[in-house]
Amino acid sequence: MVDQPVDVDAVGENIAGEAPADEPEAVTDDAVVHDDNVELERTIGLVGGLAIGIGTMIGAGIFVFPGLAAANAGLAATLSFAIGGLIALLVALPTSELATAMPRSGGGYYFISRGMGTAYGAIVGLGLWLGLMFASAFYLVGLGHYASAVFAELSIALPFSPVIGIGLLFGAALTALSIGGTENTAKIQNVVVGILLVVLTGFLSYGVLDAVGVFGGGTVPEQFFSRGYFPVLTTAALVFTSYLGFAQVATVAGEIKQPGRNLPLAMVGSVLIVTVFYVVTIFVATSAFGAERLGEFGETAMVEVARDFLGLPGAVAILGAGLLATFSSANASILSASRAVYALSRDALLPRKASEINLRYGTPHVALLSAGGPILVLVATGRVELLAEVASFLHLIMYGLMCIALLVLRRRNPEWYSPSYRVPGYPVVPAVGALASFGLIVFMQPASIAIGVVVMLVSYLWYRYYAGDVTLKGDI
Amino acid sequence: MTDRLSILVPIRVLEGESVPEGVPELLAHAHVVLLGYHVIPEQTAPGQARMQFEDRATERLDEYEEMFEDAGATVERRLVFTHNGQKTIDRMIAEHNCMAVLVPNATGPVEDVLVPVRGAIGVDRLARVVASVFGDMDADVTLYHVADEDTTDDDIQTLLGGMADRLAEFGMDPSTIETRIDRDQNPLDAIVDVADAFDTVVMGETDPSLATFVFGMPADQLANRFLGPVFVVQRERAEEDE
Repeated sequence: MVDQPVDVDAVGENIAGEAPADEPEAVTDDAVVHDDNVELERTIGLVGGLAIGIGTMIGAGIFVFPGLAAANAGLAATLSFAIGGLIALLVALPTSELATAMPRSGGGYYFISRGMGTAYGAIVGLGLWLGLMFASAFYLVGLGHYASAVFAELSIALPFSPVIGIGLLFGAALTALSIGGTENTAKIQNVVVGILLVVLTGFLSYGVLDAVGVFGGGTVPEQFFSRGYFPVLTTAALVFTSYLGFAQVATVAGEIKQPGRNLPLAMVGSVLIVTVFYVVTIFVATSAFGAERLGEFGETAMVEVARDFLGLPGAVAILGAGLLATFSSANASILSASRAVYALSRDALLPRKASEINLRYGTPHVALLSAGGPILVLVATGRVELLAEVASFLHLIMYGLMCIALLVLRRRNPEWYSPSYRVPGYPVVPAVGALASFGLIVFMQPASIAIGVVVMLVSYLWYRYYAGDVTLKGDI
Repeated sequence: MTDRLSILVPIRVLEGESVPEGVPELLAHAHVVLLGYHVIPEQTAPGQARMQFEDRATERLDEYEEMFEDAGATVERRLVFTHNGQKTIDRMIAEHNCMAVLVPNATGPVEDVLVPVRGAIGVDRLARVVASVFGDMDADVTLYHVADEDTTDDDIQTLLGGMADRLAEFGMDPSTIETRIDRDQNPLDAIVDVADAFDTVVMGETDPSLATFVFGMPADQLANRFLGPVFVVQRERAEEDE
């Protein structure tokens, strides 16, 4: 058993007189150990970790973005997804190192607050919480589109667009379910991800064979950069929401068994797997219809692609998969948001009350509601692209800062910092990861950037007002 | 004092489970590993539960620890917040090298102990637990075997006799040891029926198989049907590779 000491002291008090909860004495392969023989068991294995990562990511990239991305960038949207995957990988590697050095709940927020101080931590932590809400809202609107497509498939004509209504309904249902549900959600998540991967692999294999002409269909010939080069980057910024899931693995780092081995594998593995799926999906989708037509289909373009290949059964399969995938992504994000609230409240950056546990169900109802409530407001806007970009913006800030935190920690090399996994290609990989993360933000829509900056500003002001005396930085 | 065996006593400390009457006296000669654990749903971070419940759980464990110590046991304790109670129990068994796990149910003063002996495997560990827990108590031990058709009386005598010898070797008074044999019954039903007349049961853990996967471990099934405390003697575990 690896016994890793933890030597970070969180001190100070917030405005309500609450101090950060004490840090654990040690972390082992099986538990986080506090003094007085109190332990927190680690129960999530490698498969569970991968399922969190893939389950969070796959909903967006495959089932919501293909139409939108193709409309923006043409066939070169394939490249946009590849760029997104590369950036995600450049961040996932440093994140893995940080996570093995500090396998505690809270993920990026924890690494940055301990590595760079409370102010950065607060901006990232509150930003992560809000970013996850934007991401959940985005998935829920996507879910709404798929559910509406089901109505369309059944030829039920509705006098209004049901997208937002359904999104709201599912948002409320998911929040209620996470508060009152005692079912084994992790097992369900594993099964859902398994089913999705099987359905997609089958569908995409057929699509690739078709695209190269095996079934006589052949590719719709098309210029690769049909919209020029610049849209490739703006599209990469837009679809980056499809790569937010690996950091959610880090938010439950405190619960992963053998973190030194499983955390890097789960994070890097899930990024690699979804990147391959995304690139192939866009390739297949654009080959089937050409970017122009694909763009017209919008959020549920994949259903039309499946119909083109396999007729009605294909369309039904992808509809079902789309519902499952967007649902599981939204669910995973709400749970991560609640973990982020817990991490902040543990460190006295939010009221202790926020992580209170419901005595009846044993669930953190305040944290879940404080994620679920605002999500409904965001869903009501129905702005898929804006929601996606703000979510990406807030995550990219965290990603960039995580890379910087790694550089800072490596330079100062404090005694408590002893990761069992070390990033290859130091210092180039984290440096490029930070630059790429911040660089991608430049290509977003001005409205998304504005909202993101306002969120960061408000987060900083909240920290100054509420918890200006709290020091979380490790001794470096 | 030196050869006290470690017995794990898992208690769901925040769900109203407490140390039932008679259990501290039962373990007076053991080294008790007192595990207070709290199972939380996956939506909740274990650390979150700790922030809210640690004080209350610690208070109760303090109380329980005192009860065991007053009865004469040595006590070591752990408090664990977990998503998976079984994983925690298994880890504690391994980390503390526990010979047996006690399913804590209430009992009066222990006079009669039932020890179902399934086969020759694990007899040594079974005997060590019985001898060390009950050796200094004024209790009668009944070795019990449910035989199938193919087993001859000689086989059974060798088995139970061997067990009795082992107990004597470990310092038990042979006059307190009896044997009892039944034939052609479902072993589990037979044990449950016979156990009614006893205060406590000590039995070996079964190797996992398809049947145990479907129906659960016989020891667990017995614990559900028998109202008194049950010692489940752990099978020898392969040394974990570091």
